Amino acid sequence: MTVSSVFSPPGFNFSNEVRNNFMTEKGLPLPKATSTGTTIVGCLFKDGIVLGADTRATEGPIIADKNCEKIHYITESIRCCGAGTAADTEFTTALISSNMELHGLSTGRKPRVVTAMTMLKQMLFRYQGHVGAALVLGGVDSTGPHLFTIHPHGSTDKLPYVTMGSGSLAAMAVFESGWQPNMEREDALKLVKAAISAGIFNDLGSGSNIDACIITEHHTEMLRNVEMPNERVQKERRYGFRRGTTAWKTENVRNLIVKEEMTFVGGDAMDTT
Amino acid sequence: MSIMEYNGGSVVAMVGKDCVAIASDLRLGNQALGISSNFQKIFPVTDRIYLGLPGLATDVTTLRERFRFRVNMYTIKEEREIEPETFAHLVSSTLYEHRFGPYFVEPVMAGLSKTPSGGVKPFIAATDLIGCLNFAKDFVVAGTASSKLFGVAEGLWEPDLEPEDLFETISQTLLNAVDRDAFSGWGCIVHVITKDKVVTRTLKGRMD
Amino acid sequence: MDHVDWQRLKTGEVNLGTSIMAVQFNDGVVIGADSRTTTGSYIANRVTDKLTHIHDRVYCCRSGSAADTQAVADVVHYTLQMYSQTAGQPPSVHTAASVFQKLCYENKDALSAGIIVAGWDKEVGPSVYNIPLGGGLFRQPWAIGGSGSTYVYGYCDATYKEGWGRDETVNFVKNTLALAMSRDGSSGGVIRMCVITEDGVERLFVPGNELPKFWEGHEVLRAPVGMKKVAGETGIVPMAVEA
Repeated sequence: MTVSSVFSPPGFNFSNEVRNNFMTEKGLPLPKATSTGTTIVGCLFKDGIVLGADTRATEGPIIADKNCEKIHYITESIRCCGAGTAADTEFTTALISSNMELHGLSTGRKPRVVTAMTMLKQMLFRYQGHVGAALVLGGVDSTGPHLFTIHPHGSTDKLPYVTMGSGSLAAMAVFESGWQPNMEREDALKLVKAAISAGIFNDLGSGSNIDACIITEHHTEMLRNVEMPNERVQKERRYGFRRGTTAWKTENVRNLIVKEEMTFVGGDAMDTT
Repeated sequence: MSIMEYNGGSVVAMVGKDCVAIASDLRLGNQALGISSNFQKIFPVTDRIYLGLPGLATDVTTLRERFRFRVNMYTIKEEREIEPETFAHLVSSTLYEHRFGPYFVEPVMAGLSKTPSGGVKPFIAATDLIGCLNFAKDFVVAGTASSKLFGVAEGLWEPDLEPEDLFETISQTLLNAVDRDAFSGWGCIVHVITKDKVVTRTLKGRMD
Repeated sequence: MDHVDWQRLKTGEVNLGTSIMAVQFNDGVVIGADSRTTTGSYIANRVTDKLTHIHDRVYCCRSGSAADTQAVADVVHYTLQMYSQTAGQPPSVHTAASVFQKLCYENKDALSAGIIVAGWDKEVGPSVYNIPLGGGLFRQPWAIGGSGSTYVYGYCDATYKEGWGRDETVNFVKNTLALAMSRDGSSGGVIRMCVITEDGVERLFVPGNELPKFWEGHEVLRAPVGMKKVAGETGIVPMAVEA
């Protein structure tokens, strides 16, 4: 008798590979996964790092999510913006975040930005670009502020201002003309907002709102939807349907309230004497 | 023709005031040929969580059983019912495990989560075929009619709808979207989940 | 395997379409590189440092895939750290180059990395090793690499002489790279150089607006008759607007 196993090994599962290849050969192409045709940026300033991102997620020409979060938590003072295949950026950063927490616990020190960078680049290199995550990693540690870009194949760059995603060209144009060393916090945030705006308004893959994150030595401030330049205006009229518009055939009501009723069987109460 | 269009089908979920609704069509096709007009794509996970699985029918059935197994294991281990947020992550990680040989489904979840004060909070979510979660505040759509559903829902949905109004909104959204999709239709089913009951209705719709 | 496609880069991969160089002289080596990193036609990094620290007196110049060369350099760096701890002395340049060669040869199907290893050791003094795409290992008095190198082989052959001092060698590297960068579209930016001697490693930097200048064509391009001169005696009229 075979016993069904409940053990599942760690890592990816390739059990559908053969079947999916068969279907692809039969002329059924694989569908596209959600991608973040993003604008993500990061820049160094006097006391730390400012990260920025737009909030649009796309599935081909369709906007899958109008207000998604692209600035991911790594540790309290390290954050990571993700572009590329949405699921890959989500799970890669979550995995590294988990490993960084464990690393911090086992060493008894606050883990550094280079540690996160090395973990990410080694993982992405191992998957040879198949894990499609393009990242901007920023944070402050005992050795000061650090800002990196990590490409899907695992190469890294360390620069004072960086952009990634489909809107990176628009955003980089803003940085190249406006960035200066030792900027003030407010000026840096303003520049990051301008860079993301350039992506939102000029790149089709980017849109909706601006998220920002300011990381300094002792404090991290997550500014979710710090600017919302594309809010929908109030509808002038209501388009709700009157009750009873939709014709239906059958109805089934599943009551979730469990009612208990006690019914005595037999005429008299039990004799307890 | 992509694998997603092989069997056809669409699902939509919407948030209302202290209620959620999830609806789907009932068609099962073999490309252009209709096979069944009673193919359920929405499954109850717990009393207050429903899961819609549009996509390749073989994966719909496989994953339905997989999730039933994993939710049962969770319930036994934790000795409590799974919360919608937790279930969404369970779905997400199950799909991402198959990142390089995916299941061809785009799950849609709708449920009510418990608040500390004893009330309920509406919850909807959707993922792509490799498990990227999308927690929307208004509505989520998936399946072959998703592009049409997006358009109609964007026009019809409004915040804080009562269960009865939410039923009309989601029904009309689905009905009008699938009427313009060749791979969806052949009847519709709607579930409206409130604090103390789930109302399930099958709709009158075009059968062509 | 029918043939190896040397120029293969995975789609969207970050490329070091580079000009790199290393030259040996009496007391040490001079290594140099441009600073351009590209993804397709976009310059992903215009101030890249392609001169990578491997050990105290051993550096490498990287060309090819950025991801591959970084990964290889990281592994060699780690290996040589372990080596110097166990052996109690720094590795020779040949040792370092051999570790590179082993990785590049054994993974030749998966890597696109052209690396020049250079440095100083107490066994042989200064030395330069070239490890081209297939994973070979060649000691050379001078080596050039990357896409820009093809334009300057002739210049190097005609110019290089044995017995140079530090300054002459630095100038040779600087001029060669400037020429390569001016002809190769995938090379550019600034010139980074390192002088590695027994005493230490000295870093040199040439900004993009201070690159050595060569003939730029003003003797040939004359202003058409009747057009205003703008650039003084050169007679070049850039972007003249009609009427």
